[in-house]
Amino acid sequence: MSTDTDADARQQLIDLAAEFYDQFERGDVPSMTLPTRTKSNIEYDEASDVWVYGDRTSTRSANSVRGARKLLKAIYTIEFLARQLDEDRSSTLRELYYLSESWDAEEAQFNGQDESNKLVEDLEIVSEVKREDFHMRPEESGATLIGPLELIEQTRRGERQIHCQKDVGEGGYQIPNNPDTIEFTDHDTDFVLCVETGGMRDRLVENGFDTEYNCLIVHLKGQPARATRRVTKRLHDELDLPVLVFTDGDPWSYRIFGSVAYGSIKSAHLSKYLATPEARYVGIRPQDIVEYDLPTDPLADSDVNALESELEDPRFQDEFWTEQIELQLDIGKKAEQQALAANGLDFVTDTYLPERLTDMGVL
Amino acid sequence: MTSFQQTLGEEAGIAEELAESQRAISIAEFFEKNKQMLGFDSEARALVTAVKEAVDNALDATEEARIRPNISVEITESGDYYRLAVEDNGPGITKAQIPKIFGKLLYGSRFHAREQSRGQQGIGISAAVLYSQLTSGKPAKITSRTKGSETVMEFELVIDTDDNEPEIRDERELTPGESDLGDTHGTRIELEMAGNMRARQQLQDYIKHTAVVNPHATISFSEPNQEFVAKADYDADLPEETEEIRPHPHGVELGNVLKMLKATDSHSVSGFLQTEFTRVGRKTADNIVDAFRDRHYGREMAWSLPDDDAVIAAVTEAVNNKPAEAVGAFADQVVAALGDRAADGRVAHHQVAAAVEAAAEAVEAEAQFGSTVRGNVVEGVWTAITGYGVTSEDEEADDTSRIRDDVRAHADAATSVQKDDAVVVAFADRLAAKFVPEGDDTEDLDARRNRLHRDTVRDYVDRAADMTEEREDATFGDTARENVVEELWGTMVTVPDDPPKVRDLAADRQGVGDLVAAMRMTDIIAPPTSCLSPISAELVEAGLRKEFDAEFYSAATRDAEVTAGDPFVVEAGIAYGGDIEAEGQAQLLRYANRVPLVYKRGGCAITQVIQDIGWRNYNLDQPGGRGVPNGPVVIMVHVASTNVPFTSESKDAVASVPEIEDEIELAVREAARDLKSYLKKQRSMRKRQQKQNVLADIMPRMATKVAEVTGRPEPNYDDALARIMNNVLVERETTENGDGQTVTVRIENNASTKESPELTDIVTAEPSNLTDGASVVEMDGEWFVKWQPEVSSGDEAVLEYTVATDASFDLSVSGVEGPKLTVTN
Repeated sequence: MSTDTDADARQQLIDLAAEFYDQFERGDVPSMTLPTRTKSNIEYDEASDVWVYGDRTSTRSANSVRGARKLLKAIYTIEFLARQLDEDRSSTLRELYYLSESWDAEEAQFNGQDESNKLVEDLEIVSEVKREDFHMRPEESGATLIGPLELIEQTRRGERQIHCQKDVGEGGYQIPNNPDTIEFTDHDTDFVLCVETGGMRDRLVENGFDTEYNCLIVHLKGQPARATRRVTKRLHDELDLPVLVFTDGDPWSYRIFGSVAYGSIKSAHLSKYLATPEARYVGIRPQDIVEYDLPTDPLADSDVNALESELEDPRFQDEFWTEQIELQLDIGKKAEQQALAANGLDFVTDTYLPERLTDMGVL
Repeated sequence: MTSFQQTLGEEAGIAEELAESQRAISIAEFFEKNKQMLGFDSEARALVTAVKEAVDNALDATEEARIRPNISVEITESGDYYRLAVEDNGPGITKAQIPKIFGKLLYGSRFHAREQSRGQQGIGISAAVLYSQLTSGKPAKITSRTKGSETVMEFELVIDTDDNEPEIRDERELTPGESDLGDTHGTRIELEMAGNMRARQQLQDYIKHTAVVNPHATISFSEPNQEFVAKADYDADLPEETEEIRPHPHGVELGNVLKMLKATDSHSVSGFLQTEFTRVGRKTADNIVDAFRDRHYGREMAWSLPDDDAVIAAVTEAVNNKPAEAVGAFADQVVAALGDRAADGRVAHHQVAAAVEAAAEAVEAEAQFGSTVRGNVVEGVWTAITGYGVTSEDEEADDTSRIRDDVRAHADAATSVQKDDAVVVAFADRLAAKFVPEGDDTEDLDARRNRLHRDTVRDYVDRAADMTEEREDATFGDTARENVVEELWGTMVTVPDDPPKVRDLAADRQGVGDLVAAMRMTDIIAPPTSCLSPISAELVEAGLRKEFDAEFYSAATRDAEVTAGDPFVVEAGIAYGGDIEAEGQAQLLRYANRVPLVYKRGGCAITQVIQDIGWRNYNLDQPGGRGVPNGPVVIMVHVASTNVPFTSESKDAVASVPEIEDEIELAVREAARDLKSYLKKQRSMRKRQQKQNVLADIMPRMATKVAEVTGRPEPNYDDALARIMNNVLVERETTENGDGQTVTVRIENNASTKESPELTDIVTAEPSNLTDGASVVEMDGEWFVKWQPEVSSGDEAVLEYTVATDASFDLSVSGVEGPKLTVTN
């Protein structure tokens, strides 16, 4: 199965190079056109319920020294990726950055990892092949999940069947970089709960929340990696499980929810593949701060700016979010998930989550 | 006026006075005391000054004879002294001319001339002669051969320090072969003097800088350590001869005018002005004389006329024993004549007198009014106008309300509306009282007829204003006071008195002062500029080209301007890049009347103006945005004037005179503008070149990689590169065509402007079937195919021809700037 995708991905890359080739032969200035990757150029796709890039495009052209360097880097990267696929190897984004140091053309070497990351994303967009299919993976290890789910993972050392509660320790099951290599075989799960912080995830596991409520706890680890978002989407799409997101009560955490539910600006080209538009937000909501009288921190200037920018963000243009964000700006406070502990360690599992999930119709 | 106005003539005067009043001081002592002012204050500097004087002399001598100067300067060591020999190819000098040239110290012939010349700069070669004589004890040796002469004269010359006269010690007649003098005619002066070569740099600079502004001259220089020759540019003509002009009234001093008055043949001041000064005709002379009258005699206050009946009554009362009918007619005439003379309904005393005269003449046929009667009538009418009595007895009867009202009206007109009316009235009344003669003044004619100098008017206003400030607790500032004075002075009338005769005026220092002031005050057109000889922009550039191996040159010559009666012209030149030292500050070349200024750079107006220019605007590096710019730049400024204002007697720095500074700035900016566009173009070409270099590296690598990835042969990237660079792309293709081949040369213009590249394709076989417009010339078995099409932006042009298959080619393209051209074979 993977060889098919590999050959396909490789062909896409070669087609891209061929396009440059034809431009040269026509006497045209080589160029590459990409959607403009800014907040102002993402729009709601009604068919898929996610946010994708709009019609605005920018052109990388060899007309300028900058553009020419970018294109040279692109063709060198294409060559590297094509060979990697050919040899069925894989590498990390960071390795690509260091690897460029060995390229013969100094002009082709990357100045920083941001540049190489961005270029790989550019190639994803123009070739319509996912990074994972180029055999590129991020540096950091994927997040974990724990709960009543049984799956088969294709590893380099063969197939492994794993039950994500019984076969794993308290740390849970590690999501692989390319989650499309796993197959869900069985489950006893009622809903998926994505948790932002490690502290809260551990609290839920310690209190046995996953066993008590047949819940699959996915640890987001801050801004979730693509693999985490992909798994979440597959859990929803393939197992038809409701997805709930539980984060801190501040503007940055709302963006975490935004990227799970609607896709991120950086990877809007993959929104249809990564985003779970049906995901719902559990909390901490600004209204919780008021209702549960949670311990808070005042909003910093940057928080206020972030909230105001979210009011303009197309992903947050609905009644719920407008109301919550305006309320938060009004009270000028934010709270962490751990603030719930002010009412006792079991408050979150005994009271807060059951009440909220019942309200939301999950329980 | 100001110090820079001091002319050399006056310095001569000072020296003269000094010498006269202190007979005990010898000229040697005088020299010793004043050597810093003469440029001989140090041994190092003495050498520079002596070279400078001798070279200036040599240049002047050759140019006056319209000979292209060829001057050599040699400095050799001679025991403890240095021996300076300066030789020119001038007309030579005769024994009779020696006193003229090596005349008394400081008594140059140019001191009084209104003409641009180098000599005006220096203090003459005689000072150098004297210096060498005082330090080494050796006489100066002068060798000269006049044009056409078969023999060479050699003189040994000393200056007699007792009577300051040159004295020929030794005189020999030699054949040309015996003397050191080369060429066919010329003069050589040799001086042995104490000196040292510490000022070597200044010496070299002086010679080199002299060569820049005298591109028509060849100057060779040798000193113990090195020698060089600044060759003449034979396209550069000799400078035009200058004309001497008479002094301009705006540029003369009291002392000069006194001397001129004593020397003139004119009797009247007007005649004197017209004959002795430039730009003074009848009308200008009249204006100056009027201004002189105002200063010398003052003006008379004009008061408003009373109604006709009052005048008639005054006339009638003043006339006794005449038939009433005649008196009536006379009085009517007086009224009419006053009306004729009044300005704004006001008359001054002399106008009353003139009116009475005119009236008396008009009725002469009917009745005679003698001078006594006329006098009485004048005073009677004046009393009617002013309200104050003719004599002291009538003082009680003074009713000065008429003049009070007049002054109130003036005060009101001259003060701002913000001033309290009561204050103005109080002030006006006090001021009006000043015009009423009191006590002894009632006997004084000038007081009675209100004839006042402007200073007196100001004094009246000040006293009235001071009193008002004190009593009314109001402020009466300087501007307000001056406005009142201006208003009154404007109302007052210039008197008709004749100016004194020249003979009398010459004895009256005060009167001459008034005349000089009157000349200054009068508007007079600028002096003619024929007395100036600017170098001209072309020759400034030629001079820079000759002495500096740069990439870029520009120059500007401004039109003549005038300051204080002296016409002047400012020129500037800039050289940039090439071999000019790139490290550190730009070199400044300062000149006054074609003579380089070597010392006191910082104190010179030229330097200061250059420092104040924002050179960053001209794409030059200027740390801190102020000061002399950095980089490979030479900035040259020449100030030519009949009287260059210097900061001090040593004449090393141009003084800060606003008019001259403005012109310096404009000239430098004009030259710098061209530099700016040059640098801008250069910068964009450099950027373009850099871009091309980078792309020339990237494009082939990209093409190689693309070929590698796709597994196809390497694509041609030239078209893409040319298009990116907006370049003109010239490509040649050949296609086999039977027994020959068809050559296609394609010119693709990707630039934004129309281009006309010039192609030359050198072919080893004879080409045929050429495209129209191309031509072929055969030379030594090679055929030069020449073609110069015009290709519009975005267009292409194609040249085709047929040639044998074995022919080889060599294509070259010119007429397009290098970085904009891509040629592929």
